[in-house]
Amino acid sequence: MTDSPLSLRRRQLLAGGAGAIAGTGLVGLAGEAVAQAAPAAAKSLPAFASWKDANAVIIHNPNELETKRSAFGTSGITATDHLYVRNNVTPPDPSILNDRGGWQVAIEGVRNPRTLTVNELKTIGVETTATVLQCSGNGRAFFPHKPSGAKWTVGASGCVVWSGVPVRYVVETLGGPAAGVHYLTGTGGETFPAGVDPLTVMVERSLPIEAMNDALLAWEINGEPLPLVHGGPLRLVVPGYQGVNNVKYVKRVALTAAESPASIQKTRYRLNAIGTQATPADPSVLGMTVKSFVTSPSGAEPVKAGVVYVTGVAFGGGSPMKRVEVSSDGGRTWIDAQFFGPDLGRFAWRQFAVPLRMAAGNYVLTSRATDAAGHVQPELRSENAAGYANTSWADHAVRVSVA
Amino acid sequence: MPCGCRSPEPGRHPFAGGCRVGAAVAVLALGAAAGAATGGDAQFAEGRALFIGGTTPPCAICHTLKEAGASGAVGPVLDELRPDEERVAAAVRGGIGAMPSFAASLSDAQIRALAHYVAKASGGAR
Repeated sequence: MTDSPLSLRRRQLLAGGAGAIAGTGLVGLAGEAVAQAAPAAAKSLPAFASWKDANAVIIHNPNELETKRSAFGTSGITATDHLYVRNNVTPPDPSILNDRGGWQVAIEGVRNPRTLTVNELKTIGVETTATVLQCSGNGRAFFPHKPSGAKWTVGASGCVVWSGVPVRYVVETLGGPAAGVHYLTGTGGETFPAGVDPLTVMVERSLPIEAMNDALLAWEINGEPLPLVHGGPLRLVVPGYQGVNNVKYVKRVALTAAESPASIQKTRYRLNAIGTQATPADPSVLGMTVKSFVTSPSGAEPVKAGVVYVTGVAFGGGSPMKRVEVSSDGGRTWIDAQFFGPDLGRFAWRQFAVPLRMAAGNYVLTSRATDAAGHVQPELRSENAAGYANTSWADHAVRVSVA
Repeated sequence: MPCGCRSPEPGRHPFAGGCRVGAAVAVLALGAAAGAATGGDAQFAEGRALFIGGTTPPCAICHTLKEAGASGAVGPVLDELRPDEERVAAAVRGGIGAMPSFAASLSDAQIRALAHYVAKASGGAR
């Protein structure tokens, strides 16, 4: 991991190039900017996330908490008590954290399959990776057809640091992959009462086996033991993949010949056309693609006229960021922003900033990222029934009032 | 490629030989204490009966709702979620998240009764 601190100095930028300073009133609005307002009814944090900062999150429902656009800060890493929460089913009882080291995970689809405890995993290796964790439904609020599910805006995402054992080391230690395996399948440790068909509710996801090369079995996040609500004692972390694939309370990691038969794999988290029912033939929600959004100004409060630092984050699901441009007129004109802060690797997000001289008026601020492979963040979302994988720069624009 | 540190000679690691240990699977018991129907109206009573045992699987297996004596722990606690009738009906008809659709097994009147009951019993009725 390279540490290359880069600070942005106002004086440098102001003197360095007039092009870095833009100041125009708002003309048009390319996309529909949705105000990031808390739902009408006052809600409180659920017990399993009572330690979250209630002022930093939007509570959609007890299993779905979103980081406010204004709460990301500029430190690069998302504070754990600000980090979003999305649980497909209610988390297991907190007592599973009583003996973290004794948590068991079955490793299957290798030549010497066996069940290992966390303590045993810690004898195999250790690795630390910063990743963007993002719910595939992030940005769903901007889909005009109103898909069901939480109306996430920008904050079902965060950049966090995980520590654990690389899956590839575990597989190698147990003799390597068995013959004929094509998928990395992780199974969550939730338990279900008799009478419920486990396949309908279990969290079990299958990814191309190559995902194993970067995957961790993680027990630590941002310098502390993994909290229950984020998957503790042990989570399968798959850098570059959408949030759902990072299976919490992981109790089984299997290299498999076929995809999981669970509903969450077969008919949920599929990119099917609006008005259709998802089938296993539709593309699965897997890797993330290039995306960025402005974090400040957040639009929550009016901004004082003068020099305004526009900051934000950009990420690419495994491809490094090359460029971010910022627009204050809804995408009509663009200027380059600068990256700042440490580069935490290709799976993390990079922070960007640009100072703008803003006169009183209304603006639509947005950002457009380009990755090292040349992929440019698109203007328009890819329409799909469930409202997944929204990377549109027009949708993620923020309306700012300068006075 | 990220940089990791690992133990040397993975082939000689104690786990390299392989022996299989079975994982224990805990099964949640369903606490189904019966509460008294307090709503009064017929649709409420019908919805209550559906909630406790009239669907497959019963709502009460996955949801906590005090009025029904239900303490399911798979889906949201309805006493906290406090959904209105429209929200309940939409979830039952279309499914949402891990919850499947019940549209094929319940009549429209049954879905309305369930929605009425859950909204009223949870305090979500408008």
